[in-house]
Amino acid sequence: MKSTLYVLLTLVVLMACEKGSSDSMSPGAGVGGSTARFTISGNTLYTVSNTALQTYDISASDNPKKGANVSLGFGVETIFPYRNNLFIGTQTGMFIYDIVQPGSPKQVSLYTHIQSCDPVVAQGNYAYVTLRSGTTCRNTAFNSLDVVDISNLSSPKLLRSYPMKNPHGLGVDGTFLFVGEGDYGLRVMDISDPTSVREIQYFDSVKAYDVIPTQKRLIVTGPDGIYQYGYADRTQLKLLSKIAVAP
Amino acid sequence: MNRLLLFVIMVVCIVFDGCKHYSPPGPPTTGEIYRPVYAPYADVRTVQTLAPQPLKNAGKIYVKDNYLFINEVGSGIHVIDNSDPQNPVKLSFISIPGNHELSVKDSTLYADNVLDLVALNIADPRNVRLVKRIENAFEYSAYPLATNVRFECADRDRGVVIRWEKASIENPQCYR
Repeated sequence: MKSTLYVLLTLVVLMACEKGSSDSMSPGAGVGGSTARFTISGNTLYTVSNTALQTYDISASDNPKKGANVSLGFGVETIFPYRNNLFIGTQTGMFIYDIVQPGSPKQVSLYTHIQSCDPVVAQGNYAYVTLRSGTTCRNTAFNSLDVVDISNLSSPKLLRSYPMKNPHGLGVDGTFLFVGEGDYGLRVMDISDPTSVREIQYFDSVKAYDVIPTQKRLIVTGPDGIYQYGYADRTQLKLLSKIAVAP
Repeated sequence: MNRLLLFVIMVVCIVFDGCKHYSPPGPPTTGEIYRPVYAPYADVRTVQTLAPQPLKNAGKIYVKDNYLFINEVGSGIHVIDNSDPQNPVKLSFISIPGNHELSVKDSTLYADNVLDLVALNIADPRNVRLVKRIENAFEYSAYPLATNVRFECADRDRGVVIRWEKASIENPQCYR
């Protein structure tokens, strides 16, 4: 009887994971944007500095304990958790780390690209990386959205690259991909077919640095303030509110 | 024997001559000059809950249940009640000097407070309590964000670098 109960419980847990959103693996934790340097997966808080990945055990959430420190080289910028992996954006590429043992992350692979600023998010068999030019990015001209095939995590392969204007943060939810193009606006893309990403909408009046898509609501941060949109309607975003910056 | 001595002298001369001419690559002569702005360690190791503040320089954002957290770059976190996304309501401002990053699990918020990691109980967003501080979790800021610039070297005995400002300094010793 007891074992049947365990099997049932395990099934329920596994089914809960099937949803596949990045936060489903971390009950009790919230969701950050793609440019974050802090993230939570399970009972571990991960932070990245310019050069290293630091772990904190937060099994007791009010008593974080400093854990392992993993050296990553230079130019580390962002961290994104997905399933049993961390995707770490650096100025020269994307690291994939295995966190099956949460306290001791192990490098699975490093996908390298030209030097630039580049957050990364992942969903299913694909990682989405934006490459941006700018003075602190050591890149003067190159701006793109790269779709990387991660079906084999130890050997990520560039599937296709799409030109962008000046992409900062990005977010993915189901068939939607949102890209904050900085001062150039906000792009809404359809990624049903990652080999042929299609633009649904482009707002050139909304300055967008980073985005969080969650529960059919998109939160956008930028120099003018915080915008919230609904995207239940697949063809167009609906503005819900704006928290403006003080004049 | 004499030949050997001559050879040794030659080698020594060449090596020392080489040293005399060697100089490290010079700092970039163009570009801006920065200097660190310090704050005493005790002053920045304080976390306070304040009344809602105007949004000035929005940084990272974070969503947890019905709350939306917005980082005010370098100074803290706006806590927003977002149960109605058409009408988000500011609840409070958590003043955290040097703050840029945040994450939340259960009712604990983790944030960087210049050099330290702080864990804050946010069960009541209008009365946030510090539950743990891990000192020196982050690296001391030894250089400005910009590259190809010269700057006055940071001195950790003078306090925490809270930001870098442009300045006209003669012959600054650090560059990157």
